Amino acid sequence: MHAITDASEQRNTRLFAHTPAILLLLLAAALLGAMLLSLSVGAVHVRTSELLRAAFTHHHLTATEQLILLQIRLPRILSSAIVGASLSVSGLLFQGLFRNPMADPYVIGASGGSVLGACIGIFLFNQASFFGLSITALLAFAGSVLTMVLVYSLARSKGRTNVVTLLLAGFAISTILTNFTYFFEVLDSASGSGTRILLSWLRGVISTPHWSELAVTAAALLLGSIAAFPLTRRLNTLALGDEYAHQLGLNVERTRIGIILIGSLLTAVAVALGGLISFAGLIIPHIGRIFLGPDNTRLLPVSALAGAIFLVLADTLARTILAPTELPVGILMALVGGPFFLYLLRRPRRDALL
Amino acid sequence: MTAPLLELHHVGFRYGDRTILADASFALQPGTATALIGPNGIGKTTLLRLASGVLQPACGSIMFAGQSLSQLTAKQAARHIAIVPQHLDVPFDYTVQEVVEQGRTPFLSLLGGLTTADRREVDRALDLTNTTQLRRRIVNELSGGERQRVKIALGLAQQPRLLLLDEPTQNLDIGRQIELLDLLLHLRETGLTVLASIHDLHLIDGNFSAIILLRPSASPLFGPPSRILEQSLLEAAFDCASSNHPFFAQLRASQPINVSEPISQEKPS
Repeated sequence: MHAITDASEQRNTRLFAHTPAILLLLLAAALLGAMLLSLSVGAVHVRTSELLRAAFTHHHLTATEQLILLQIRLPRILSSAIVGASLSVSGLLFQGLFRNPMADPYVIGASGGSVLGACIGIFLFNQASFFGLSITALLAFAGSVLTMVLVYSLARSKGRTNVVTLLLAGFAISTILTNFTYFFEVLDSASGSGTRILLSWLRGVISTPHWSELAVTAAALLLGSIAAFPLTRRLNTLALGDEYAHQLGLNVERTRIGIILIGSLLTAVAVALGGLISFAGLIIPHIGRIFLGPDNTRLLPVSALAGAIFLVLADTLARTILAPTELPVGILMALVGGPFFLYLLRRPRRDALL
Repeated sequence: MTAPLLELHHVGFRYGDRTILADASFALQPGTATALIGPNGIGKTTLLRLASGVLQPACGSIMFAGQSLSQLTAKQAARHIAIVPQHLDVPFDYTVQEVVEQGRTPFLSLLGGLTTADRREVDRALDLTNTTQLRRRIVNELSGGERQRVKIALGLAQQPRLLLLDEPTQNLDIGRQIELLDLLLHLRETGLTVLASIHDLHLIDGNFSAIILLRPSASPLFGPPSRILEQSLLEAAFDCASSNHPFFAQLRASQPINVSEPISQEKPS
């Protein structure tokens, strides 16, 4: 009698809780599939079978096809994959930091801070390059860190995060920073310099970067994720609350600083390639938790891969749905992610944190 | 008499300029259970946090197993002393097993995960608290009594020598209170030293061998229950002079007037 009740009360949605490796393999395969699909669709349609033949046999594509695929489509696809992975992992880290599933680099203002930082680099230091160790890149990172520290100190009181304060502070700061960026954008248009980069950042357009830029951002994503790995276990401890974590011997302050720095680095990476893209960092970790449970160590690689798949597909949709016009993927994400955010806000909760 | 496990010498603490605790002195013998009582807001939680090493005293000294507690790092202290706080709020759907595994945190290396030995300790903690069958359940879906036992399992996974509990019987029905006290008794038999703040004075008799009574505007008293559970002391401490509450009637009726009992553990003056 009792055994039956107990069994029925156990979670059975965690299909991959004991076999995360299988899920990782499936996701890696799905990412390749999504990239292949994305490579084939667009103004010039190349069948996937033809792509595979070109890759594995001596079959050759036309020169135009090669140019479009290798110089335009492939960099863009890789770019969207890096953006998706960075957003999901930083979302996961920020959710652990705030002990709340509503945190996301866009929602809490980190993305806005990063864009404004980059803006200042471009306009005050006249340095348009975002990549490598340029002042613009450093300012994008610093903008995110400063915003995080500000939002964090506003939302915390007596060792707890007030969710309402977190969301309101994030919203207010995000709005202020974004509108500062609009101010720069107006200056930009008035001066007629025609960079137009700010408008695409504000709308969330995935850029088509040079290979060197892809290499730098991919390296930052990889390094950030590797550095985050030992912190994921500490985030599980931090989930018990500051008091518990402290008495278990965890260095709470150091863990927090590490999370803010790595989360900000990943936010800056995502902003560099895609500008302001909302809610991706919210949706992916949430879905991961359904299949794996809340263990951050398991969720990290899964979020990275699932986030990459999600944004590759979303960007493919964004650039083909209104062809020949392109829809910024940021707008698509806001339309999909907004309702999801509201669902998270209203869903029944067992714990008393919201 | 064996060497005490935890010793406080004239310990005081203040938040800002508000004094929470003044001149607290007592010594806990290994394998004993001590109840910490006193009115609301007097500093019971603060005293437990001082004893765990999480807080540093403003004055006085705290010795653990003959060593100054302030010399131990947070991680070292966590391998010897576990504190079971009043509340456990977990965001996300962590299972009992996942939460109890956190008790191994002070033993893990920088990059390492749980070893076989760690898992054995987790299993032992679940077994001792009779929560093995709950291990796959979501912590936030447990009842109050189950949650309390999970919190104790989390503390026991630290393999502590001293277990500090903050109001472990609060919000539990009488059945779960008895269950909890039996568990503490059982843990004491395994050699663990227990210090628990207790709100309900009814629960002390027979379950605790010593009492610390925190009093407003007087230094804390330490002694056996027969010494501390005395009407005049309690009335003064809890500010309820000449009360007709049944507890005091019961106390008057059952009080063994044992004048000859030696008060060996009284605080040094």
